[in-house]
Amino acid sequence: MSWTWFHRFGSPPHVYRLARTLTPWFAWPAALLMLAGLYGGLVLAPPDYQQGEGFRMIYVHVPTAYLSIMIYTTMGVAAAVGLIWRMKVAHAVAASCAPIGASFTVAALATGSLFGRPMWGTYWEWDPRLTSELLLLFLYLGYMGLRSAFDDVQRADRASALLAVVGLVDVPIVHYSVTWWNSLHQAPSLLRFGRPTIYTASMLVPLLIMILGFTLYFVAILLMRLRGEVLRRERAASWVREALAS
Amino acid sequence: MNATAAVLDSRTDIPSALDVAGLALARDLRLAFRKRDEIVQPLAFFAVVTTLFPLAITPELSRLRESAPGVLWVAALLAALLALEHLFREDARDGTLEQYALCGRSLTLLLYAKTAAHWLLTGLPLALLAPFAGMALGAPAHALAGIVITLAIGTFALSLIGAISAALTLGTRRGGMLLSLLTLPLAVPILIFGAQATELAMRAQSFAAPLELLAAFAVLGVTLAPLAAAAAVRISLE
Amino acid sequence: MTALMHFLAMGGYARFLWPCYGITFAVVFLNIYWARRLNARARTEAKRRLATRQEEVVYE
Repeated sequence: MSWTWFHRFGSPPHVYRLARTLTPWFAWPAALLMLAGLYGGLVLAPPDYQQGEGFRMIYVHVPTAYLSIMIYTTMGVAAAVGLIWRMKVAHAVAASCAPIGASFTVAALATGSLFGRPMWGTYWEWDPRLTSELLLLFLYLGYMGLRSAFDDVQRADRASALLAVVGLVDVPIVHYSVTWWNSLHQAPSLLRFGRPTIYTASMLVPLLIMILGFTLYFVAILLMRLRGEVLRRERAASWVREALAS
Repeated sequence: MNATAAVLDSRTDIPSALDVAGLALARDLRLAFRKRDEIVQPLAFFAVVTTLFPLAITPELSRLRESAPGVLWVAALLAALLALEHLFREDARDGTLEQYALCGRSLTLLLYAKTAAHWLLTGLPLALLAPFAGMALGAPAHALAGIVITLAIGTFALSLIGAISAALTLGTRRGGMLLSLLTLPLAVPILIFGAQATELAMRAQSFAAPLELLAAFAVLGVTLAPLAAAAAVRISLE
Repeated sequence: MTALMHFLAMGGYARFLWPCYGITFAVVFLNIYWARRLNARARTEAKRRLATRQEEVVYE
């Protein structure tokens, strides 16, 4: 099996050029899908039996929550690859992920809170999902904090990569323990946060479109940031001179 | 493992990995007893924090009793975090840590020894002091053994996880605050199960289930944490 | 006009729903802005680094 394709991804100039070419291929479909999802979710989908028009908030809440977790996983995997194979590009990917993931975790918390207010009466509830999201935010902030504490980019890369991997192992454990903790002190089922119970196709399809759209959007932003991060990690390279001229 | 380590591993004139680890443990304990403040300070901090809660909430024992497990665990967590700063700092400063990394014996085992010493010096005394704090917060007498056991295991797991973040923040300037921010989210499972176990102990119910989970985390920590900590130490020594 | 107002009112949930969408898309656009800014800074830094380096020895 030829590993050249894998090793080519380790080549910074190649990644730099590839990222620029690929970005529009992700960005424009993402925009289209988001618009389609917005239209489907806000206009086409019928109001929910229990939650009326309010359920439409899931069309942004679910994608942001999904992104926050998916990005952390990507970050952890990239960090592991960077540590094991000592690939600068992998570390650059991990570094690119963090701010995107953190901002979407904040968005997930905010949308979750706004979604919760009309549904269960309070802006905040210590339920497993929101609590896990909050802890995920702390994990992101810790990662970014550790990065910024180092002056040397290579050491920052390796230290934060180890943290990301440890965090990745910890996330399922944290989620499990938070769910367990919450189930102990279960509020009566009437007060429990309920989702719209009936999912018709017209409700579900825009959600799937939004999730796909946000995923493509994430890849586009990742590719954009990746270029900057790769550039930062290149010291004496002639390709940089060429690349900057273009 | 690299060639040098492999060669060193096979030599019989230098002590084995286990012996070296034992030496490191003894060294840490001996050094700590020469500077007894470092042992007393986390305990004093724990006592102070435990005192803050009644002052901030209420002097009534019956009301304090409800939040006693949580208060004990948060105070223990904070005290343990403070103590973690000392885990590697001295050794990093005087070059001992570098020697540990270069000596050709398992750094993982050495760090495990250091972490064990750290727990014996901070976590275990904390666990033994906790019943008094517990009583001050209204815990019933039958719960005291449970408090000691749960906190002993919990602080051990904490020391293990804390070793990773302590090693990661070794080379950084603002180590202390960052250390706490990194360790706390990782320590949440310990906090949840530990506090629940203590709560059940206080209600004279069987706390076996959360205790077993807590012990499971400790075991997981024992197997994985020193490995990660060793990797982190190597990174910060570069 | 009432159709538009009906849409905007979102069955009474407007004051939760629109901030929800607002925050999400604010984050969406912020990330685009941040990515652009990162790249601009990286390019300036790289240019500066190249400019302050001595001429590379060229092996013929």
